[in-house]
Amino acid sequence: MKTIRRALVALSLAGTIAGVLRLRGKGGVPPQAGGWREVSVPPK
Amino acid sequence: MSEPAAVSESAPIVGVIGCGVTGSRVVAHLVHLGYRVAAFDVLRGNAVSCTRPRGGVVVERVTDLAACDLVMLCLPAPHAELAAQFLRDGTPVVSLGDDLDDLRVMLGLTDLTRRHGTAMIIGAGMAPGLSGLIARYLADQLAVVDELHVAIHGTAGPACARQHHDALGGTALGWHHDMWIEPPGGSGRDLVWFPEPVEAHDCYRAALGDPLLLHEAFPSASRISARVSATRRDRMTSRLPMLTPPHATGDTGAVRVEVRGADERGGRVTLIAGAAARTADLTAAVAAAAASRMLEQGVEPGVHTTGCATVSSLELLHHATMLGVRVQEFTGVARATGW
Repeated sequence: MKTIRRALVALSLAGTIAGVLRLRGKGGVPPQAGGWREVSVPPK
Repeated sequence: MSEPAAVSESAPIVGVIGCGVTGSRVVAHLVHLGYRVAAFDVLRGNAVSCTRPRGGVVVERVTDLAACDLVMLCLPAPHAELAAQFLRDGTPVVSLGDDLDDLRVMLGLTDLTRRHGTAMIIGAGMAPGLSGLIARYLADQLAVVDELHVAIHGTAGPACARQHHDALGGTALGWHHDMWIEPPGGSGRDLVWFPEPVEAHDCYRAALGDPLLLHEAFPSASRISARVSATRRDRMTSRLPMLTPPHATGDTGAVRVEVRGADERGGRVTLIAGAAARTADLTAAVAAAAASRMLEQGVEPGVHTTGCATVSSLELLHHATMLGVRVQEFTGVARATGW
């Protein structure tokens, strides 16, 4: 019983920490503007 | 591409070792440019099928290629030992290898090349290769280069796919605040927007050769990183043998190079450019351009990378575009990322 309780506490703690990191962490942000255009590379 | 040049009896002979997905495209470019080609592959049928229809010859032994005017190594790594063999004979070499350890050894062949009065261009593929050319193209627009960040997507042939798989499971290399760092492969996720049609992919650190070669070319840059695109499955299985066979003919690939620095007035500038096409096509165009310019113009003895100032006079990027590489530039305002 004690082990199960400890496991549940550990799992809920891990979930809380993961949730906080997920919400506060910086994910990649795709560009909101702009795009790609072909450029010519002339000889120097 | 331009009209094919006629192959004359006095045209230089280029030896090609490895006639797989990339090697066969290299042979096609060389013949198109008017060179005579002699090829070797451990699977003789590959060499025959890609060379004979184009008027080239197939040799029985690698050593038969020592008489060539230049030798291209298009086979899977390692290349260093083979390259040293040709350099000792005074034959210039172009290597498409992207294995990090192999590149380290090849960089150490500088003394050998100088002793024998010959030259070698290493990492003449997509990345390293095209990445270095684009980095030089962007760096030339800046007064000061502080950071270089490369991201790659896609693989050429099956050997290239195996190399990428191993790289993701290996130890990565990066240049961070003027010292080498070795984070684990598969770490450092970043969402990278590649040129069209590849677009957005999550990319991770891996044992890639770009930081090593870009540091040679841009020793004053304080941060250099390279990442490769990967899926969750790629990352989970990166330390295992490949579970599914690699794509036999490769796939669409892309390279994206971001250079950060300052303009002449000290203003911070970030420039981004890249290219996207079939990975083998990009690789073969860069390799063939390197071989062709080396033969036509010559390079001073030594080991050179595509980003080095020592080969900038060869105008490799311009010649690669003549062979079908489309360079694209990001036109938006670059934003800071986690790099």
